[in-house]
Amino acid sequence: MNTKMNLRCVRCLYPISHPLGLVLDESGVCSGCLIHEEKDRLDWLERWRKLELLVAPYRVESGKTYDCVVPVTGAHDSYYIVDTVKNRLGLNPLLVTYNKYFNTPLGIRNLANLRIQFNCDILIQNINPQAVKRVTRTTLRQMGSIYWPCIAGQTVFPVQTAVRYKIPLIIWGAHQGIEQVGMYSHEHEVEMTRRYRKDHDLMGYEADDLLSIFDSLGEDDIWQYRYPDDADLNAVGVRGIYLGNYVRWDPKAQHEQMIQRYDYKGASFPRTFDTYDHVDCYNFMDIHDHIKYLKCGYTKITDHACREIRFGRLNRKQAQQLVKQYESQPLIHLQKFCEWLGVDERGLEFILNQHRNHKLWTETYPGKWQRKPETDDLVQVAAMPESGFLGFESHTQLQMDRDDAYITVGKGYP
Amino acid sequence: MLNKRLIGVVTVKNGWAVQSFGYRRYLPLGKPEVLVHNLDRWGADEILLQCTDRSHPSVGPDFELLRKVSDLGISTPLIYSGGIRGREDALKVVSFGADRVMIDALLKNAPADVEAVARVLGIQAVIANLPTKNAPEGMLLLDYHSGHEMPLAEAVKLLPLDWISEVMLTDWYHEGYSEAFCMSLLAASDLLRKPLICFGGISTSHQIRALLANDSVVAIGVGNSLNYKEHAIQALKKDLFGVAIRPPYYESSTL
Repeated sequence: MNTKMNLRCVRCLYPISHPLGLVLDESGVCSGCLIHEEKDRLDWLERWRKLELLVAPYRVESGKTYDCVVPVTGAHDSYYIVDTVKNRLGLNPLLVTYNKYFNTPLGIRNLANLRIQFNCDILIQNINPQAVKRVTRTTLRQMGSIYWPCIAGQTVFPVQTAVRYKIPLIIWGAHQGIEQVGMYSHEHEVEMTRRYRKDHDLMGYEADDLLSIFDSLGEDDIWQYRYPDDADLNAVGVRGIYLGNYVRWDPKAQHEQMIQRYDYKGASFPRTFDTYDHVDCYNFMDIHDHIKYLKCGYTKITDHACREIRFGRLNRKQAQQLVKQYESQPLIHLQKFCEWLGVDERGLEFILNQHRNHKLWTETYPGKWQRKPETDDLVQVAAMPESGFLGFESHTQLQMDRDDAYITVGKGYP
Repeated sequence: MLNKRLIGVVTVKNGWAVQSFGYRRYLPLGKPEVLVHNLDRWGADEILLQCTDRSHPSVGPDFELLRKVSDLGISTPLIYSGGIRGREDALKVVSFGADRVMIDALLKNAPADVEAVARVLGIQAVIANLPTKNAPEGMLLLDYHSGHEMPLAEAVKLLPLDWISEVMLTDWYHEGYSEAFCMSLLAASDLLRKPLICFGGISTSHQIRALLANDSVVAIGVGNSLNYKEHAIQALKKDLFGVAIRPPYYESSTL
């Protein structure tokens, strides 16, 4: 059963089949756990000083334009990033956000509160929702992803804005490749690249790669997801840095600070104990999480559990039990997505089954799939943790006091 | 005078592009074909695709990866290294889109086969990889398989250097680390009498400038550090102003 596909790190729970790539050392510890050790080894005060020196030339003394672009959402570290950029570094950021149309009322509330609390200007990109739906249908068919347009938009709109407004510096939060799989040392001070975006964020497909003579998707649908030309990036001198290389990144501790200081709000999810990540989206922790299970064999609860193991707040056995408990929880927002896209649940299931990872799943009967055995199958399923587990607080529900439906802002309704 | 070259090196292990540190420790990077495509867009002068785990006789070159790279339609010359067992493999590697082959184990295990490769591809298409280290007893050549090292001066007598066009002098011990290439390895040029490609622990423009100032050095291989910043190749080239090297290139859809 201990096949190459389900070989896992002996310290955290990540499988070697992690989609970002994972390397195990001779003792079976993964690159992610080894790089995480730097968080307790590096001199973070010294690294902070490096950051101050790095951003200094980008400060616009005239005050007539912005010092930097900061991508934000109504969740996911945005408060901490803006607090660091505006209040600690003393920069004047232009906030940018991509409207992914799966907005929860809580996400909209958190985003509005962010703008008010930090008193920043914000640009919102609203791509024609009909085009977004067409692109979503294509990426669903081609690569089994409903989230490609969201990630493509979130990763390209800040870069387009930097070029358009001639603001060279973009400041992101943590680098996912470092946090999850230890792709780089913090000391490599890796920056944003188009290659990483294509390779990992976009699963190998840039906007133009979606166009095909076998598909009805057209130029008009994809042009807003195009990365700026190298010549344009060079003319402005655009670079994107990651705060996680200079600040000891701990999302739980950071969210707790932001709740206390700026009234960030979290909500509970049926499929993880983390109440802070992705509260702006109905689908990330729902159908998108389910798709991750079909393709990668694990879900977001594993990401959260691995992170907490590394910070020493969970042991491996507890984490395994939590994963067993959470990853099989049913979806609760599927119908909303099907209505939005104009597909029925059976049709969606049919498409998703085309993208199941056959190294992880067996079709036991037409349309019936079973997860292949794993080494941790004997792990006992624990009782669902109490609210506030590990200190993750839920302050409200995703829909707050409104209808449980996507909040559409910008171009058109619905 | 011919321009000197900046080679983008993509190291592959278990099918993944990786950062390698002394070929002992690795960090994942991504899909090799995406890295190759990126180096092509950045205007690298040449790309080296080195697959480090193909040397078992039953494995051979990674033709599946070469097919993916071939499908990209890149315009940058491609060197392939890894698992080449002889003439047939070398021919097939070139038929899958590589422009040149780099040979390591074959040099020591079957020198006559190197001649066969050179006769069919041309000497200009054959490069020797020599993993070396400077030690108190002199320069040593490493045999990756056995882990044994032997004095380079002795090894050179056994190597079929007449059938290769260039030697990649790999500082394997410092490979992957910043500004770590051992400059004293350049003394090997007297023994080898071949144009040299320097690789292993080379990351900065002033280091590259110093190496390219040596008449024997025709190219520099850079690996890990190309993955840390956008336009890393162009930035190095920009800093190498005045060196006989192609100027930086920035792709534009409006040109």
